[in-house]
Amino acid sequence: MPLWFARGLRRGVVTTRYPARPDDSAAWLPTPPAFRSRRLTRDLVDRMVAACPGTALSRRDDTLVFDVGACTSCGRCAEAAPEAVASSGEFELAATSRSVLIKEIPIRGDEP
Amino acid sequence: MTTQAAAIRGTVTTRVPAADLERVTADLAQAPGTRLADMFASDGATTVLRLVWARESGYLVTETEIEGGQYPALSDIAPAAFVEECEIYEQFGIRPATGKPLNRLMLPPHAGPDFPRLGHAPAQPPQEVHAPHTVGGQAFEFPFGPVRQVGVESLYYGLVTSGEEVVDVYLFTWHKHRGVEWRLRGTTPREAMFFAERAEGLSAVAVGWAFAAAAEAALGVAPPPAADRTRAVALELERLYNHAAATAALCQATGLTVGQSAAEIALEQLLRVNAAAFGHRYLFGVIEPGGTRRAPDVAVLRRGLPAAYGELRRAADALLRTNSFVDRLEACGILTAEHARRLGLVGPVARATGLAVDARRDGPYAAHPVTVVTGDGGDVFSRFQVMLGEAAESVRLIGEFLDAGTAAEHIALPEKGNGEPGAGSGLGWAESSRGEALAWVALDEDGRITRARLRPGSVRNWRGFDDACRSQNVFTDIPIIEASFWLTAAGLAR
Amino acid sequence: MTPSLDEAEAARRLRDTIAAQFGRSLHIRTLDTGSCAVCEQEIRLLSAPHYDLHRLGFFFTPAPRHADLLLVTGPMVRAFDVAARKTYEAMPGPKVVVATGACALGGVYPKDPFVHGDVGQVLPVDVWIPGCPPSPLALLHGLGVAVGRLAEKTPGLTFIADGGQG
Repeated sequence: MPLWFARGLRRGVVTTRYPARPDDSAAWLPTPPAFRSRRLTRDLVDRMVAACPGTALSRRDDTLVFDVGACTSCGRCAEAAPEAVASSGEFELAATSRSVLIKEIPIRGDEP
Repeated sequence: MTTQAAAIRGTVTTRVPAADLERVTADLAQAPGTRLADMFASDGATTVLRLVWARESGYLVTETEIEGGQYPALSDIAPAAFVEECEIYEQFGIRPATGKPLNRLMLPPHAGPDFPRLGHAPAQPPQEVHAPHTVGGQAFEFPFGPVRQVGVESLYYGLVTSGEEVVDVYLFTWHKHRGVEWRLRGTTPREAMFFAERAEGLSAVAVGWAFAAAAEAALGVAPPPAADRTRAVALELERLYNHAAATAALCQATGLTVGQSAAEIALEQLLRVNAAAFGHRYLFGVIEPGGTRRAPDVAVLRRGLPAAYGELRRAADALLRTNSFVDRLEACGILTAEHARRLGLVGPVARATGLAVDARRDGPYAAHPVTVVTGDGGDVFSRFQVMLGEAAESVRLIGEFLDAGTAAEHIALPEKGNGEPGAGSGLGWAESSRGEALAWVALDEDGRITRARLRPGSVRNWRGFDDACRSQNVFTDIPIIEASFWLTAAGLAR
Repeated sequence: MTPSLDEAEAARRLRDTIAAQFGRSLHIRTLDTGSCAVCEQEIRLLSAPHYDLHRLGFFFTPAPRHADLLLVTGPMVRAFDVAARKTYEAMPGPKVVVATGACALGGVYPKDPFVHGDVGQVLPVDVWIPGCPPSPLALLHGLGVAVGRLAEKTPGLTFIADGGQG
């Protein structure tokens, strides 16, 4: 046991200060997409919806409906439309209502 | 036996008429260096039973059309097949001819004749027999689970005890049966990949690779070598983090909290290396049919991996010098090489008994041979030592694969109108941290799946768990044995 | 879609009640309704040195009778729903249900004969944590939101990247 005690002291503290302070390791986490509204066309959105393996993306007229709750951050929508998709960088996604996780993104790329 | 041998990627597929099946199976079961790796059925115009045998030269798949709803009692010849006989009966309604009782296994108790199956419902429902052997003497059973300790998967054990000693333990995993194989029907390999990875998430790379390779074999294509090496890097990273997690679980099961913390520090560092190198802590989304979607960030991996592995190595060294820990592991949960052979066990569980079974022989491993680590005690301590040896070997292999070059690239799969896929089938495999993962895929003319078989390593090794628990162990040994197996309920239940 | 005024008010009152009741000590029971096993590994890491949930007053408990919060993973396999309800009903009130991971939120498996598809079909969910899997940091944030100690961010996020909020 003295072996472990000495070892522990030498190792020091690795515990995060999160949530009091940000944690650097968050930079490496996969995060849901953010969409470039002005680059979205109906066509592009339909391709992204087809690429999504789950239920996170759908299109309603000129609106991209994005269910953040259903998103697995797999990146297939970004592969289908790299010019229209960026990483949101957001991992603090918890919500107290399910509807707040459903976002509407206007499709502006078809506008003159 | 008529042989129409189709050799794809070292796999030979042979038609065996039903009348010859018993003899062929007996010959194969007795052949040296041959192991029954899987057995499954498919329904189409007829019900076809397939057995997958692992041999020195590669895999052999025998295909037999079953008529009259019966086939020879293969588990009498190859006991490893018993679990599969139960599963096949529930899903396809065909059974071994001896009429011995078959357990309900994958499907829940309420699964009536209309419940979705891969084939047809059996004429008579399966029984509630608990284990393929009898339990005599004074004993009582108590149920444990499916909701168990905090932070572990749902799993039901029936524990049979005469007080403290484990007389028997049987498992029900139907609480977690998500119907993955059923859901894959009608999908393309690319669509199916998302679910194949999530059949057993802690083996996402292994099961994903086995599935992708099966689809590639069915289409007669192979990924570019650099992509294959990328897959191998991810697979070895997956092995590393799982072995670190198993170490932490062993410490938790033995009550050594300082050891658990040390192993968890290593585990967390390894997961961060995965995230930095491949974009996901658990390496989801790396593999796809045809190749890889991501390549590792080589600089980040070379910089981060030695420190993370060093953390694991130092924790392991301290554990091996802690007598109270080692005492707890020695002579606990013993399996013999005979058990392992008879039950078709794989992975560190088998290797710790002395059997050098390891699926890492071809593909990218052909040019970078693996030193297979074996033990001889067959106990928890042996399994722990095998995992530590494998972790060192994984770090070495990753260095070699990075030196040889990795890439995110994939070939375009032949698609209808884009090539001529034709209907085809293929077998894929990968050595997960918990043992050989297999997949077999049949595609129709449109390149869509008519049958996907996923056989994670957990499916083989849970079979050995009750034997390991029974060999003179007490209740408190069960979590220790479970940690040393490091399987998942998700991988068995799918 | 923003919540209605009633929904927002109910949510606010719930948060205040919980924050008052649970203060800085919360006991958590986990529940696996059919996950792929990765969510559980991230949850286990909450008590590991890098994250140490105890410093925040959060504790795991195996006994539903002692638990305040039920942390649920998986797509609610139908064969499990009786066990899920029994676990929930064994917890005395007040209690909070947190659905964690894309499976539990309905993003991976559609409703079919094997699964309900999301935890909300069987249990009354109070907090939803997206991710596949949600990392330990995301889980800590979700637990903080569940006890009213951390603010939610998602209502203010648009997921639009045209130079506005990300």
